[in-house]
Amino acid sequence: MTAAGRHLTKTSAFFLRSWRMTRRNTMTVFEVVFWPVVSLLSVGLMTSFLRLGEAATLFVLTGTVAFSVVQVCQLDVTYAVLFDMWAKSVKHQFLAPVYPWQMALGAWLMGVLRAVAVFALMTVVSQWAFGLSFLRPGWGAVVVFLLGLVLSAAAVGLLVSALLLLFGVHAEVTAWSGVSLMLLLCGIYYPVSLLPGPLAAVAGGIPLTYFLEAFRAEFGFPPVFPHPLARGFTLGVVYLAAAYLAFKGAIGRSRRTGMLLKLSD
Amino acid sequence: MNFVATPAPAVEVRDLAKTFQAGWPRRHRQPALRGVSFEVPAGTIFGILGPNGAGKTTLLSILATLLLPDRGQARVLGLDVVRDADRIRERINMAAGGTSFLWSLSVSEVLDIAARSYGLAGRERRPRILGLLQRFGLADHAEIPYNELSTGLKQRLALAKAFVNEPELLILDEPTVGLDPDIAARIRADIAALRRTRRITILLSTHYMREAEQLCDEIVFLRAGAILARGDADSLKRQTLTGDRITMSVEGDTSGLLRLPGVLGGRAEGGRTECVVDDAGKRLPELLRYLIEQGASVSDVRVAEPDLESVFIELTR
Repeated sequence: MTAAGRHLTKTSAFFLRSWRMTRRNTMTVFEVVFWPVVSLLSVGLMTSFLRLGEAATLFVLTGTVAFSVVQVCQLDVTYAVLFDMWAKSVKHQFLAPVYPWQMALGAWLMGVLRAVAVFALMTVVSQWAFGLSFLRPGWGAVVVFLLGLVLSAAAVGLLVSALLLLFGVHAEVTAWSGVSLMLLLCGIYYPVSLLPGPLAAVAGGIPLTYFLEAFRAEFGFPPVFPHPLARGFTLGVVYLAAAYLAFKGAIGRSRRTGMLLKLSD
Repeated sequence: MNFVATPAPAVEVRDLAKTFQAGWPRRHRQPALRGVSFEVPAGTIFGILGPNGAGKTTLLSILATLLLPDRGQARVLGLDVVRDADRIRERINMAAGGTSFLWSLSVSEVLDIAARSYGLAGRERRPRILGLLQRFGLADHAEIPYNELSTGLKQRLALAKAFVNEPELLILDEPTVGLDPDIAARIRADIAALRRTRRITILLSTHYMREAEQLCDEIVFLRAGAILARGDADSLKRQTLTGDRITMSVEGDTSGLLRLPGVLGGRAEGGRTECVVDDAGKRLPELLRYLIEQGASVSDVRVAEPDLESVFIELTR
């Protein structure tokens, strides 16, 4: 077997185990169907109550979609280590000759699949419940938007995984809180221009801000920052590289401190 | 002139040390290994014994590349555990007592994921998994989810998974802990059979002396992170003066017995006299001759060989 074939096989291990766990666990239904649909319907109904126009409703619902897609995809990346932590099988996972990128890539591909499923479901529900379609800007814009979201999710998922390996399962709550804070800052339901000066500057450091801006521009909302896609993808790639290094470093550190063993006890 | 090459040891450990640190804000240091050195010849079963907290799991985890040492060097199959960890992982595997896997995966899926993690292609993977299911008696349970398996089946799955890459070195960390005696006996038989048929090197850590005595070619005793004794079961008994035990009913004076050559210790209580000797076959006639010369009458003579349990108790006293 060629080296590329072996890399592919090892990567497939992480994709397949997420796929098999996803198929058999009821929590999947909640992650992929229940929470995204509940979020979309509750926010959508609120916009109806507030008598927001079609454009403003699309603005807000786009944030809901971004939130759900990023959440589900980054959760899958985190499952590369989280499943093993819950099962207390961490040391057996790290005993195998796999590189951190193979773990992350396999889990992320599953995350992309689930992210696309969540987006499709939310698009159908939005069309049915509110007569609004996220596909209106065209397939190109949708694909670029989704790419930006899953790129952001990869960076977030790797960072959360690094925290889990450094501090154990106690870091779970802190990590999820950090994700929620990021979503708050990137203007999930409002333009970032509404944020106070320093917070708006922080928002400018979050790639998701730019992907939301670029997609919302398709619905007629001019972006606050120039060249949002170029900025978003540049920042996204930089953060992904940094998060990967943090993940790799966390594995090395947990081998030094014995955390890998503690997580299996 | 012909030279016969000595096979390289499967494991070489030199002055290996590891200290764990815990606590916040004031960290406390917990030494787990304090300069351990030994070699494991290829193709042998090497036992690592010791009480809880002796450093057995720490030592095995370093050799399995799951933990980095603070000091010293460890080489596995000729490769350094720090620098060549990736290459070592391809060639070793490990099974531990109380191992668990992802709860929803079936037995065959656990093996499939493990085989993929070692880069086995489909052509190679499928027959390997089928072979492991057969060999470890898991074929009838292949589609059962992990969390529905009995403890014995879970442990057999852990062993089967450890063979998925056909390792040259197998690390078994208390593989029979917590199992029913009949299941533990079966696992022991599996290990012995694997050694006979495959000639791989096995590092076995265990609490059970009988298991070590039955399976291991050589044993090290660890206590508080240091090696207390090393050798095969017989030499360990000699090292710890845990000799053969001769008990007999004696009417007469036995006070001179302790001065006889080869008598390591003894006591007399309620008409029964017990002597610990280096070799019962050699010393029993000498003891009997001495007692008869002293005019004592001897009956009900019993001889018992020591087991590793006695060595363990002696070493950890």
